[in-house]
Amino acid sequence: MPRLIQTLRAAAILAAFSLSATGSGITQEKPLALFHDVHRAMGSEFSIDLYAPNQETADRWMQLSFEEVDRIEALLSNYQPTSELSRISREAGTHPVTTDPETFDFLQTALSWSSRSDGAFDITVGPLMRAWGFFFNHGRIPTEEELLALKKQTGWSNIHLDASTRTVSFINHSSMELDPGGIGKGYAVDRVVALLRQQHVSAALISAGSSTIYAISAPPGSQGWPVNIADPAHTGRTLSTILLVDTSLSTSACTEKFFIKDGHRYCHILDPHTMHPVENMLQTTVVAPSATDSDALSTATFVMGPDASARLLQSCPQTEAVIVSGTPDSPRYRAIHWPYPLHETKKKREY
Amino acid sequence: MMNRRLFVQGLSAATLAAKSMTSIAAMDVADPAAPAPVRLGIIGPGSRGKELIRNFLRVPGVTIVAAADVYAPRFQELNQLCGYAVASHSDYRALVDRKDLDAIVVATPLSFHAEHVIAALESGRHVYGEKTMAFTVAEVNDVVKKVDAGKQIFQVGHQYRYAPWIRSAIDYVQRGEIGDVTHIYGYWHRNNDWRRPVPDPSLERLINWRLYNEYSLGLLAELGSHHIDIANWVFGETAQAAYATGSIAVYHDGRENDDNVQAVLSYSKGRRFVFSSLTDNAEVGNQLWIYGTKGSLNLTLEDAEFFYEPKRASQLPSKPGEKVKAITAGASYRPAGEMPYRGAGKRLDIPVTEDPTTTACRAFIECIRTGQKPVADARVGMRSAVSVITANQALSARRELEVPAPI
Repeated sequence: MPRLIQTLRAAAILAAFSLSATGSGITQEKPLALFHDVHRAMGSEFSIDLYAPNQETADRWMQLSFEEVDRIEALLSNYQPTSELSRISREAGTHPVTTDPETFDFLQTALSWSSRSDGAFDITVGPLMRAWGFFFNHGRIPTEEELLALKKQTGWSNIHLDASTRTVSFINHSSMELDPGGIGKGYAVDRVVALLRQQHVSAALISAGSSTIYAISAPPGSQGWPVNIADPAHTGRTLSTILLVDTSLSTSACTEKFFIKDGHRYCHILDPHTMHPVENMLQTTVVAPSATDSDALSTATFVMGPDASARLLQSCPQTEAVIVSGTPDSPRYRAIHWPYPLHETKKKREY
Repeated sequence: MMNRRLFVQGLSAATLAAKSMTSIAAMDVADPAAPAPVRLGIIGPGSRGKELIRNFLRVPGVTIVAAADVYAPRFQELNQLCGYAVASHSDYRALVDRKDLDAIVVATPLSFHAEHVIAALESGRHVYGEKTMAFTVAEVNDVVKKVDAGKQIFQVGHQYRYAPWIRSAIDYVQRGEIGDVTHIYGYWHRNNDWRRPVPDPSLERLINWRLYNEYSLGLLAELGSHHIDIANWVFGETAQAAYATGSIAVYHDGRENDDNVQAVLSYSKGRRFVFSSLTDNAEVGNQLWIYGTKGSLNLTLEDAEFFYEPKRASQLPSKPGEKVKAITAGASYRPAGEMPYRGAGKRLDIPVTEDPTTTACRAFIECIRTGQKPVADARVGMRSAVSVITANQALSARRELEVPAPI
């Protein structure tokens, strides 16, 4: 079940209203219709809803957008040995690797978030993901010895970037596995947004498997794209409804990628410090102007917990969050600059 | 063991995946701290051109200095890619006249390849020219002669010559791993109408040049040329004759080129290369099957897998006084009746897999710095191009045509 329910009915109704209104004869602009398309990439289903004057234009915009998503996947995927990030992972431990400006900027952004989150966000966690079985989705519990051995092959501070030569080096002289999972979809969404803005798309909602969403403007006649934040402690209940306009929203949660062993749920989001899955966190939702940033922040805040997250977000302009910690039986809700009401469900009574 | 060394002329073994990762690092550029700078110009920074530039930017010490294109929006796209302003020219002659370039990349539509490559060579620069090498046999020969007459490096865009798993797999084939190779089947099937989005109808022929005969030799050139190059490589020669057919089966949108093509190239000793390209069904994807008397090799964009024919009875050498007994060895596979074999093959274990375009671009710069000849040189380009051109002519003429012998 999707963690976020995009309520487009309201938008569609408003759109239909505005279209029928223009049919009354007084119209200066071509009426826009709402188009929807989906595309599988990065292990997710990307979807785009956009307003376009006709099918041909919509098809053209969708094609450009999804080709860009595929291009980013080919650039960053740690599942593809031919990607540029895989090449860097393999080689930067033995010699400085010259990379292209886009990949270099991406790594700079990732490292900046590592620094600002004190390592809660860390793209070097690839080997840990494998050790815990999340790479192939089988789930396993590594021994402490195994994890200790992996410490040498992880750690964002081992990545050294030299902007004068555009090179990447791993100062631990080990091959590392750079895993863009916590930030890559956000980056892809930002790139699609840039492309669609260049095409002068008037309004669109771009979603990367609903874990990162960006809203370009608002549907005609409305204040924003409505997005429902699910309550992770209570299936089917909405925690908050937000209207997104020219900003992004990212969510991290344990509800979809996890494994259960001996009755305990192990989440796919790892704490790079403890090298174990994060415990006692249910969901983080972050709104920020850049999808790359909201994606990284939803990951970082999930690791950091409510208090540390609140401190970090002080230094992030136009950024809001809802952090849900605890357990489904005993959830705790923390709103950080969140402008909308939270419909917290009361703690379950024990009879 | 499958870890064998491959030495290829003109290409440092460092860029070949048959080597281990440590030796690749050790054999990187002569002085990684300060490689000799290479200043590049590009004629035609369209979608392929930009991909090449992206890859050249992954080589130490390379700067993109200038670009030439008739379509102005490309310049801003290129600047964004490079992260700096690249000098722009609407006329390629102005770029070729510049004094501050070491090498020129040509990625314009096929009909312009020879003109641009020759102009770049005449200016004294090293040239990276996209495949198919040229539009007509006469132009192909002109390019070869121009390259032969000078000392510059010329590399043609047959980047699969640089793919580590392909190099290694073909090395095994050439050493007899699948017996005598008699047939190669090359498929490039997609589900894509090949049409690029066009901001304005007036730009249709400029942006969708691949669909029009004035600029393009269609699927045979755009896709077939790579597979034909691999067939030439495996068979060790150029094709002798070509036959092709094609049609527009699905996309009746005003295009001039076929949306599906089938071709057969004949080589010596009865050997054949068969090519198929569809644009309305992607099930088969991009792959080659190399069929030999002892087995088959399946090559894709990422891997190489071997399959072996069921073994035959083998005669043991006889010793004096000993009875000779024929034995039948266990078959590698034995499909029931004539059902296709659907099991796994023997995957080639390659320690390093890299995007072949990245390897090819790095190799070009290495050849400039070291003076060694490239693997994908003018003659590699020629052998593929003459077959592409002839197959296309055969398609129009609806009969088999002889491929002109390479000069």
